[in-house]
Amino acid sequence: MTSFFLLIFVKKKAMINAVRNTVLAILNKNNYGYISPSDFNLFAKQAQLDIFDEYFLGYNSQINKENGRVSGTGYADILKGYEEVIDTFSVTASLSQTLLNQYSAPTAATTGSDYYLINKVLIYSVITASGNTTAIGGGNTQLIDNTATFQTDGIAIGDVVSVVLANSVVTNLSVVSITNQTTLVVNVASLTTTNIPYSIYKKVNLKNEAEQVNHSKITMLTKSMLTAPNTTYPAYTQEGDTLTLYPDSISSTGRVVSQYIRYPKDPKWTFVSLSAGEPIFDQSQSDFQDFELPEDDVNNLVARILQYAGMSIREIATVQFGQAIEQQENQEQ
Amino acid sequence: MAYLSQYQYYENAGTAPTDKNWGSYQYVTLEDVVNNFQLMYSGNHSLINNEERYKILFHAKRGIQELNYDAFKEIKALELTVYDNLTFVLPSDYVNWVRVSLYKDGWLRPLNENIQVNSAQSYLQGAGGTLTFNADGTVVTDTSSLDTERKNGQQNSIYLNQQNATDQIEFNSQGSWYADYSIGARYGLNTETANINPTFRIDKKAGVINFDSTMLNENCVLEYISDGMEGGDDSQVSVNKLFEDYIYAHIEYSILNSKFNVQEYVINRARKRKTALLRNAKIRLSNIHPGRLLMNLRGENKWIK
Repeated sequence: MTSFFLLIFVKKKAMINAVRNTVLAILNKNNYGYISPSDFNLFAKQAQLDIFDEYFLGYNSQINKENGRVSGTGYADILKGYEEVIDTFSVTASLSQTLLNQYSAPTAATTGSDYYLINKVLIYSVITASGNTTAIGGGNTQLIDNTATFQTDGIAIGDVVSVVLANSVVTNLSVVSITNQTTLVVNVASLTTTNIPYSIYKKVNLKNEAEQVNHSKITMLTKSMLTAPNTTYPAYTQEGDTLTLYPDSISSTGRVVSQYIRYPKDPKWTFVSLSAGEPIFDQSQSDFQDFELPEDDVNNLVARILQYAGMSIREIATVQFGQAIEQQENQEQ
Repeated sequence: MAYLSQYQYYENAGTAPTDKNWGSYQYVTLEDVVNNFQLMYSGNHSLINNEERYKILFHAKRGIQELNYDAFKEIKALELTVYDNLTFVLPSDYVNWVRVSLYKDGWLRPLNENIQVNSAQSYLQGAGGTLTFNADGTVVTDTSSLDTERKNGQQNSIYLNQQNATDQIEFNSQGSWYADYSIGARYGLNTETANINPTFRIDKKAGVINFDSTMLNENCVLEYISDGMEGGDDSQVSVNKLFEDYIYAHIEYSILNSKFNVQEYVINRARKRKTALLRNAKIRLSNIHPGRLLMNLRGENKWIK
């Protein structure tokens, strides 16, 4: 019997095009409200950031409502909706070590995205093994360290191997098998050179959360007999893009993992060619980026973009219309 | 902390030390206490929110320390031999002593604390009582007579160490040996403390127990209490499960009590809860049950004489 597999690709309709069409339709009254794709992209980015920001304020406001007993549960659980949207921007990544106990805050260069809010910083309580690779093998999947004692150290399948392969980015590999005391096999063929520093952790040991402490308190905290940071209760301070972990002994590759909320990606309405003076929308372009907010924010996006566009073309009626839509949305919440 | 399997409990899953988990079920770790408190008593919909973890940790530890001082019955014991300097250095986790004993001939003999000073600092004095100073202005010290004579066994005791029956010169009469017995010579003696055993005095600042010379080369057992902080290793700090709820209440009260703009009735409610839970836990820990009472009451008909 022959089996047939039918693959159905459902292409999500791009939200950004719908928003742009709506905005243009409103602006184009009297035929003087056209905005170029590049202007639209700028306004779209700004509008998305505004609404993204408001999610956090709305979240807080909703908590206050719950504490005031004016919020419900089940389908009336508005807070849950906020959490769901915010969580779509959640990223968990190992932080790049810059120097000793200093680690880089999440950035596009080190973790793939800039952070809006660092929600938590976790550390592995124990380093199961660490060292530098001394040879390559197994099609670049073998981690070989002639000085290691992997079996004695209790390395097991599934353990996390943190390495820095290039540009300070921490890459987390997974142990697939343990060949002998000095050789492991990892899941990705990435160990192409020798002398790569590595640290191996057990997933269950990623359990200690570092607490953010402000600079006015950290000196006293480190002097405190009862509450000085230790590996069970670590702490960190932030200075620019650098997180300093306490105690100082937290200074290994991949030991610090952050869960953070990233910024939404910049929306980009892309087109292929001009047809009768009109750019034709093409979402297959490599730099295409749709809005990342949920579809129920379309009205908000339109209202925001209209306000920016109205200001741009000095059309006060458009601004007021956008404000009216936004006000209505807020009242409904 | 996850529950342990029987194998983990009895043999620590085959890793040394195999007795690591014995009795561990009686306790809840500090890590669990702080974690549970943050999860259950702190947050957006709780009385306590936006509080730094280190404050919760601080109050948790302070609560555990207080419990160790008087509520827990977790007395530690350390045996050391007393050598020439006649001192017993207090353990590194010592907070207060419960009993000091001499272990000799198979008997544990509780010792009495000397109410008199038995050790003192002394300054080196010249003719006319002048003092000598070092270049940095500190006075030159010397060994006090009190210490020297105590260590040499020249110090008299108010506790019958001298002139008691065993110290009398014996005499022979008709083939039998006799010794004087000081009948009527000890009026005013504090019978509560009178015994032949060595005496001690704790020098808290110096961190030592000073003994009289009769303790030389003897085994001393110190029973003491600690503060439960396990030498600063937070992963080892734990509290008896009977006090678990109390610790949460203690943390909650301590934070509310020091927080601005908390209504007095909320603080009072927290305080009452904390106090009641402490009382309950102490009663539970005292382990009063019919079987024990029965054993105690069996002695009621015993003939004294």
